Amino acid sequence: MAGPVADIREISGSDLISALHLAQQAPAILGQESGSGATSNSSETADYYARLEQLLLACLRTGDDQSAHTCLNRLSLRFGPSNERIMGLRGLYEEATAKDQSALEKCLQEYDNTLSQSPVNVPILKRRVALLRSLNRPSDAISGLIQLLDAIPTDAEAWCELADLYQSQGLGSQAIFSLEEALLIAPNSWNIHSRLGELLYICASDGDASRLLGRSVQHFSRSIELCDDYLRGFYGLTLASTRMLDNDYAGVSGQLPKKTLERLKAFALLKLGEIVESRSIDDQHWASSRSELIAAKELLNRQ
Amino acid sequence: MAIQGAEQTILRDPALFYWILFPISIVMILTGILRHYATVLMNTPPKSPSTLAESRERLALLRGVNLRNNACSVLDRESFEMRKNYMVTGFRNGAFLKDPNNRGQPPANPMTDPAGMEAMMGMLKGNMMMMIPQTLIMSWINAFFSGFVILKLPFPLTIRFKSMLQSGVMTRDLDVQWVSSLSWYFLNLMGLQSVFGFILGSDNAANQMAQQMGMANPAAMVNPLQPGQDPDKLYLNEAENLEVMEHFCILDGVEERILQNFAPAGI
Repeated sequence: MAGPVADIREISGSDLISALHLAQQAPAILGQESGSGATSNSSETADYYARLEQLLLACLRTGDDQSAHTCLNRLSLRFGPSNERIMGLRGLYEEATAKDQSALEKCLQEYDNTLSQSPVNVPILKRRVALLRSLNRPSDAISGLIQLLDAIPTDAEAWCELADLYQSQGLGSQAIFSLEEALLIAPNSWNIHSRLGELLYICASDGDASRLLGRSVQHFSRSIELCDDYLRGFYGLTLASTRMLDNDYAGVSGQLPKKTLERLKAFALLKLGEIVESRSIDDQHWASSRSELIAAKELLNRQ
Repeated sequence: MAIQGAEQTILRDPALFYWILFPISIVMILTGILRHYATVLMNTPPKSPSTLAESRERLALLRGVNLRNNACSVLDRESFEMRKNYMVTGFRNGAFLKDPNNRGQPPANPMTDPAGMEAMMGMLKGNMMMMIPQTLIMSWINAFFSGFVILKLPFPLTIRFKSMLQSGVMTRDLDVQWVSSLSWYFLNLMGLQSVFGFILGSDNAANQMAQQMGMANPAAMVNPLQPGQDPDKLYLNEAENLEVMEHFCILDGVEERILQNFAPAGI
């Protein structure tokens, strides 16, 4: 059992390659578990069900619907079909296996029914928003999400999703606001800091571009301060400081002096070079972020 | 007082060990374990809010606290002032309350409020779990084993410990080293925590299943409000805390900081 378990722990959620690796082991894992029967003590089973859930997600992503169904059945056998999270997972399964548009509409209908009975079913609320988004109804998704966040303002995940939705609709300042809210809940997450930096960088095209770019540099710097080999942070810092230098924003009302910006840029480029070099050697381990690596290489070549 | 310098000797029947000391310890451990499982069994998970407004009432307070704690590491002055004003006005007007019209009225009697009743019931159950076994065992020991001296501690103690170690034995001259059966019970009661920790795992082990049943979404489960507490008062308090907050931002000068801390000297 040691083999697959160790692998599962290395999975980094959103990465397709490792999800594929995991899903390929699904039959083995599922077969093994049924052979050995129920696992003995409580901490192990807690772990086991968390793993089943991950496996379910991985199988759905890679199209192994049958294994996903087995996972889902085991989970609902343990926690009962009326458990909120199981309801969310079942909804996810239904959506993933839906054949056409009308099946998705039916899912949506089902969610609305569930919500009219228990209005604070958070997993279903979230599924509904995601479904609306995949049905190409972003404004409905946004209003649903706002409703959710009005009731549960301490959910960083939902704030991030809202920021993403706003950005896809071109509403930059709203997206920035939402990401700031997410950061207020999780102030030390360097990825959100750097994401906020990216948003500010993107939005800095109109009126007060110099102020937004300055803040963008600040957030990239903060994300580097929190995680000193974060590729995206250095990449963003390079871009933002370059743009500030190009547009002569340095030294404008409260902005950084030119010398500091130049040092920042040189530092970011240096670190970027180091990171690219070290990660190119250890290619397999960084397979999930290969696209980022390629973008960084390209940036370095341009300079 | 005991005769100075002379060692007191009491001839004890070795059967005392097998028939009193041992049974008391075993019974204490077993009841401890039983109580643990009974608590797990009777424990009801905290009730999640039933409407969106109720959930907002609970979590708005946390949002204020988050803003207060984390604003310095995220927000610049402008967006901080904006959020502060929004939160303070919201808290002051009762915009986050479940039922803004009921504002200012005295809180409902927790005895009549079903949700409050449930919470009180939970507390009562917890207390009962402690009280009943203790009363039973103590009366059992009092009925069967009172007045026995069952143990001699291998080290001397001062006279103050007499009341702790020799309850139930009314002999003034007995040396403090001797321990009576009733006291052995008390010592077990207080001192078995680590044994339970060893047998049952850390305290979390008891709640693990309950947590798992809740499965994720911890955000919705938290309830900062105690039953019977008036959220409006807490809100006003939080509004005051927010008002007096001085803004500073650790993002100021972060660029110089990273250059100083991470960049090599040549740059």
